[in-house]
Amino acid sequence: MKIQQNYNSDINLKIKRRRWINVGAIYLILLLFSVLFMGTFLFGAMSSLKDNPSEWPPTLKTEQLSLKNWIGAYTLARQGGGSGFFGALKSGHEVSLQITYKYPMGIEIIPPEVIIPKRFAGHGAAALDLDKEFVADFVTIKPIEEINRVSNKDGILISYKITIVNISQKDFNELPMDLKVPHKVKFVKVTLAPNRIERLGMSQSWNNLVSGVIPYIFHNHFRVFNENYSRSTGKRLFTTWIFNSLFISIIKVITTLTFASMAGYALARLKFFGKNYLFVFILFSMMIPGQVTFISNYLVLRDGVFGFTKLFGGGSLLNTFTGLIISGLVGAAAVFIMKQFFEGLPQEMEESARIDGASTYQIFSKIMLPLAKPALGALTILTFQGAWNEFFWPLVVLTSPMDKFTLTVGLLSFKNTYASGAFDWGPILAGAIISALPIIILFFVFQRYFVEGVSFSGIKG
Amino acid sequence: MGNRWSSLNEKAAPYVFLSPFLFGFIIFFSYAFIRSLYFSFTDYDLFSIPNWVGIKNYIGLFKESLFTRALKNSLTFAIIVTTLQTIFALLLAVVMNQKIKGIKFFRTAYYMPSITSSIVITLIFIWMFQRKGVINYLLTLLHQYGLTIGIFLTLLVGIQLLLVVTEKLRGRPVQYLEPSYIVLSIILASVITYLLKDFGIIKPIEAKAVDIFWLNTREKVPSWAGPLAFPRPLGAIMILNIWTTVPTFMILYLAGLQGIPKVLYEAAEVDGAKGWQKFWYITVPQLKHITFLIVTLGLIGTLQMFDQVKIIGGQAPLESTITLAYYVYYSAFPGASVPRIGMAAAAAIILAVLTLIVVLIQKIFLGDGKDLRD
Repeated sequence: MKIQQNYNSDINLKIKRRRWINVGAIYLILLLFSVLFMGTFLFGAMSSLKDNPSEWPPTLKTEQLSLKNWIGAYTLARQGGGSGFFGALKSGHEVSLQITYKYPMGIEIIPPEVIIPKRFAGHGAAALDLDKEFVADFVTIKPIEEINRVSNKDGILISYKITIVNISQKDFNELPMDLKVPHKVKFVKVTLAPNRIERLGMSQSWNNLVSGVIPYIFHNHFRVFNENYSRSTGKRLFTTWIFNSLFISIIKVITTLTFASMAGYALARLKFFGKNYLFVFILFSMMIPGQVTFISNYLVLRDGVFGFTKLFGGGSLLNTFTGLIISGLVGAAAVFIMKQFFEGLPQEMEESARIDGASTYQIFSKIMLPLAKPALGALTILTFQGAWNEFFWPLVVLTSPMDKFTLTVGLLSFKNTYASGAFDWGPILAGAIISALPIIILFFVFQRYFVEGVSFSGIKG
Repeated sequence: MGNRWSSLNEKAAPYVFLSPFLFGFIIFFSYAFIRSLYFSFTDYDLFSIPNWVGIKNYIGLFKESLFTRALKNSLTFAIIVTTLQTIFALLLAVVMNQKIKGIKFFRTAYYMPSITSSIVITLIFIWMFQRKGVINYLLTLLHQYGLTIGIFLTLLVGIQLLLVVTEKLRGRPVQYLEPSYIVLSIILASVITYLLKDFGIIKPIEAKAVDIFWLNTREKVPSWAGPLAFPRPLGAIMILNIWTTVPTFMILYLAGLQGIPKVLYEAAEVDGAKGWQKFWYITVPQLKHITFLIVTLGLIGTLQMFDQVKIIGGQAPLESTITLAYYVYYSAFPGASVPRIGMAAAAAIILAVLTLIVVLIQKIFLGDGKDLRD
């Protein structure tokens, strides 16, 4: 009897152990996959904050994410007269930072040379704006103070205080600075980490000491907005692209919902000549790649839909949103989804409404559409995502000017904008992350619809 | 009068409902498809009047090395990517098909690559595939610590075996994967590896940084595969593409997995089937239809691959990444030279025919298309 009991408890323990190890193993595998699927994004997002996302070796360490630098950026911006989160260098304000160097034994102690360079942060048109005044002409550098000195066996640690005063009547929002030290002198720590360390550590540079916390963290994201201006209107290109994409996607959602539910209902419930042939043809069209039809569609838009637009005083529809929208009012897949959905609804309500004398139009608008809410929800998400991410057709239709681009086409142009010699990956990554954000947010809010969308469109094959 | 009007109205209803859709469908699909077919038999160049040239374009295509390269790239890409992504999607779905806490979070997290646009993902990947990029760095790490990892794994297996065998010799019934012993082995192996490293007996290999050209190269991999080898930049796109599509197909598989009757597994357990046997003899056959669907969707999608080639653009040589879809675009808008619409249209028709063949094969194997909805 006792042996039996022992045996039982032994078995129970074993089962428990096994289950425990199994669950553990599964979590471990899930976690590994998370690193694979999400880590790529997170690492991209993190690197988009860095001064140099292509540094070697690549690290997770990001100066822009350290509390010490946030405090530094805040203090400096406050000293300059800004709010702290956003900075400034106002008239009469003085900005000071502390920096520590290590002088090895036997090296003559020379304090760092402070230079306020005549340069603007950034790239392209923003940096070449000739009307801007250099802040360097309006500030003075106070004599460097030594505030601390500690000797240990292999060198001397010296902290300096560097103070810069805006002596003019003008307000600025930028204060670049370079520090130069003799060879072998090591930079140890500073209030706000420099953006670049060059010439074997002999030079530390800051793009903007008084940027404030937010522009400091997201400086690449600000660059995306601030460095791309339209040649014709002078507006910010990136903002324009976001609104273009938003506008086109919303219009597409509206036309798709309206027309797909109409056509889907007709295909599911109404009788008309050639219905089955039409349905087969729709299925066929879903398999044909866009590359087959785009040549003709390009020509159709170029000639203004057989010259139709000329009647209204228009010309070519290339490089217009009208052209992009009119050629993609409703996709065959959307019609298919709505047809499948309407077919699955019970017929009784419709029949009784018909007996009561309702017309087809009334049945559609008063009975069927309210019932179709779940399908319309999934279709909204699916269409919006599709339109926001669409690449090929906007690329063909919208070629110039850059004001007309959608976000996807605009991002592609970044590859030219930020590639003089080596790629400037900061703004490219930042632009990519910003443009993915709306969809990711939408996804977290409407997860269910996304997954339904996959199973809907999965059926189409 | 009113009655007749309303009956006319009723008759017109289907056409009224369909008209907005048909407007686009006729102009931007049917007409476009027929016109492409027509262009493929002409020498049209977007500006002058098209002349009928018969099947000259089709013959010309197969004589052109860029096209045969594109065809070969497209086919290799489609086959390799579809195979791998189907396998990974199935395995991932099996792992995800658990009733444990927090599984929903993971499903959401995994789905992120599938919802983001191709341009965003491709840009991030180009950045990672740089010569001094993340991928090469991870490979460098693997190279440097390969020996350490190898020693750790050998120790792990060795200690586990030792523990189990001693227990067995003592006459106790233990399994080879006894959980508590695994934990013990992991701890022991880690400590020994750490000590070995600390005493400097094993060191990370002082290797140079891995410097693989992922994009800007004409090299073909794998080098032993001879004529079957594909350009390395295409391989980079394959990795990218598998990564983005696996989650989508995983969701389809998950739906399928939840539809498999539990009774089948219970019966198999009674018969003494092990984990992998259940997977191979129940899960895989039960998911046959979904697998067919996923393979078809995968082939259609991969044959049309365009975005990644366009986005990588000058980063890689054209021949190394060109696909059929890109060939069509490139011939129609070649930049500096004259557009060759005839050739582009012919290549597009070939692409369409390939797609239809895939669909046809699926229809033959599965019979009626309705089976897909099971």
